[in-house]
Amino acid sequence: MKTTRRDLFKFAAGGAAGLLLTPAPWRLVTDTALWSENWPGIPRPVRGELRTRFTHCTLCPAGCPVKARCVGDQPIALAGLPGRPLCAFGLSGHQLPYHADRVTEGDIETVRTLVSKRAATESVAVLDLRPGRTASWTYRRAMAALPRGIYLAPQSAVPAVNLDAVKTILSLGVPVLDGWGTPAKVLAARPHFRLIQAEPMESHTAMLADEWLQLRPGSEQALAEALAGQGGGERTGLSAEQIGSVARQLAQGGALVLATQESPAVIELNHRVGAYGQTIVARREAAVPPSWRPAAPTTALDALPDRSIGVLLIDESAADVYLPWTALESKLAAHAFVVTFASSRAGYGRYARLTLPAPVFPESSDDCVPAVDSLAATFRLAVPLVTPPRGVASPTQFIAKLANLPASNALRERADAIHAVGRGTLQQYADSRVVSIKTIKRDEFWKGLNEGGSWTDDAGGKMPPLEPLPSAPAVVAMSREMRAARGPMPPLVSKLYRESNLRVRT
Amino acid sequence: MTHRGTLFFVLGALAALGAGWAGFPHVIYRSRPQPVEFSHKVHAEKAGMKCEDCHELRADGSFAGIPRLDKCAGCHAAAMGTTPAEKQFVDGYVTPQREMQWAVYARQPENVYFSHAPHVKLAHLECTACHGNQGQSDRLRPYQEDRVSGYSRDVWRGMKMNDCVACHRGHGIENSCLDCHK
Repeated sequence: MKTTRRDLFKFAAGGAAGLLLTPAPWRLVTDTALWSENWPGIPRPVRGELRTRFTHCTLCPAGCPVKARCVGDQPIALAGLPGRPLCAFGLSGHQLPYHADRVTEGDIETVRTLVSKRAATESVAVLDLRPGRTASWTYRRAMAALPRGIYLAPQSAVPAVNLDAVKTILSLGVPVLDGWGTPAKVLAARPHFRLIQAEPMESHTAMLADEWLQLRPGSEQALAEALAGQGGGERTGLSAEQIGSVARQLAQGGALVLATQESPAVIELNHRVGAYGQTIVARREAAVPPSWRPAAPTTALDALPDRSIGVLLIDESAADVYLPWTALESKLAAHAFVVTFASSRAGYGRYARLTLPAPVFPESSDDCVPAVDSLAATFRLAVPLVTPPRGVASPTQFIAKLANLPASNALRERADAIHAVGRGTLQQYADSRVVSIKTIKRDEFWKGLNEGGSWTDDAGGKMPPLEPLPSAPAVVAMSREMRAARGPMPPLVSKLYRESNLRVRT
Repeated sequence: MTHRGTLFFVLGALAALGAGWAGFPHVIYRSRPQPVEFSHKVHAEKAGMKCEDCHELRADGSFAGIPRLDKCAGCHAAAMGTTPAEKQFVDGYVTPQREMQWAVYARQPENVYFSHAPHVKLAHLECTACHGNQGQSDRLRPYQEDRVSGYSRDVWRGMKMNDCVACHRGHGIENSCLDCHK
């Protein structure tokens, strides 16, 4: 029997068909995909003995406790604590230092020389995008020491929100369920309050709100004015019945109005619905060493004359609330020198003369401001889990050095000041132990904080007076999406947050 | 002649099936022997040892994994028996204090985090639930590594992600990606 070419084709066709019934092709497809995970250049987590470290997340003001699984000095996974889960941002925070858009180099000494020269003759302003930290006190002290130092912050002091007393929240675009407060606390309180979300787009919070009012873009303040009895409801695109219904719900007590922008209308509305003293309450600040006073006061941007800032230094390393660049620009003198400390050029780096690389979580050594839903003062450290790359500048050290201020030990000094007052408790996450700081020594307190402990002030006692009008600001929050769009995010966030909406469910 | 084409087709299919099912596993896996011949059976039956005597959980709950040389040397500082394998082990590793480079059958890929502690202590799983009767083996199989992916063959035999997920679902436990992945 002579074999023909046709026979060979038949044989090959049979072979191809038969091969499909074996594991070979399918396995090769899988193997090739797995092989691609191990290409050269892809970082490989180190192997070794696992150990657990505790710290706090500084990616947002909630300051959630973090349990880090580390191999050696390398964190390989971050997690929350039982009942206090981390959001998608926190879970993937250990990937941030390796982001492709990370700024890692900058001529710090040259910039220091330039700024020092100009500081002698021109006004220097520091813009602190997360006020209330120990670093903020360092900035204020440094600005007080400079002849023309100005300390700028988006808001002076944010009062606390008593979630237990809240029955109705009117949110003017604030991501209440998506990064505004401590996720675990907000979600625990969620069944007990009615949420009215007023914003043009159907955000995550709007989707999960009890009522979504689809406003015309930019008309949030108009709604606040209408509800405060100042008219202008027609600009919102809502009917009079809808606005009336919201007004009636707010009048039932336990109301809270949140806005993304500080405005007299929101303050007035909160005043009218009786929020101040009931749902918005004052909170004591954690003690600071007496030697830190006097410090420069917080200056509102609007209070500055136009073209008055010669040198602007922006701490963008932990940014919560951004001021519009147009508002800042009008305050800058001609040929003003603007330096931002950031981990990427996505924020003010687009406008500043220079961007100096700043440490990111979990490299940075910082303290966490109390979350908006924390009724008592807190002092929690973000203990660095990894060493920042060489060439990264600490904005606190840079600015303190300008004023010849010793600030490398500021966190310890503040911890000692808190210990000296002798009020509050220290919670250790490793063993869930809560001890009164009266019962521990100063060094033990500091050691406990560095092991991821959290100090909480006594909730009772004499609180500072709350002044709702005219100086007290509205409760302000920045849209998580707006903030996140500015800076780099770990790739995992895209998977967990954007696709699965995990932040809301954690 | 009408069946001639079918015959070649079937022959081709049979050849491919044989190659795919019988030949492919030999081609895709690279084998290498373990550094020392070791009998779990002898240690379990003659010495009366349990799994956790060598593969213990540390005080902090982490798993010590494959025992290191000092653990073995605790008993085998000198040969206890007369087998050539033990002599080779004592002469080649214990005496010169040379750590053994075991190839770990159950080693998971780099992107996976697995903790023995919750599975053993909380879920009370037996070692055999995942490792099979490895503890009864009289000799160590050669370690087989996938030439393309680099994964151990044992991972494909019941330690894949789907196996973990199936077991968790069977126990009514749902997890997020980052509970297991780094």
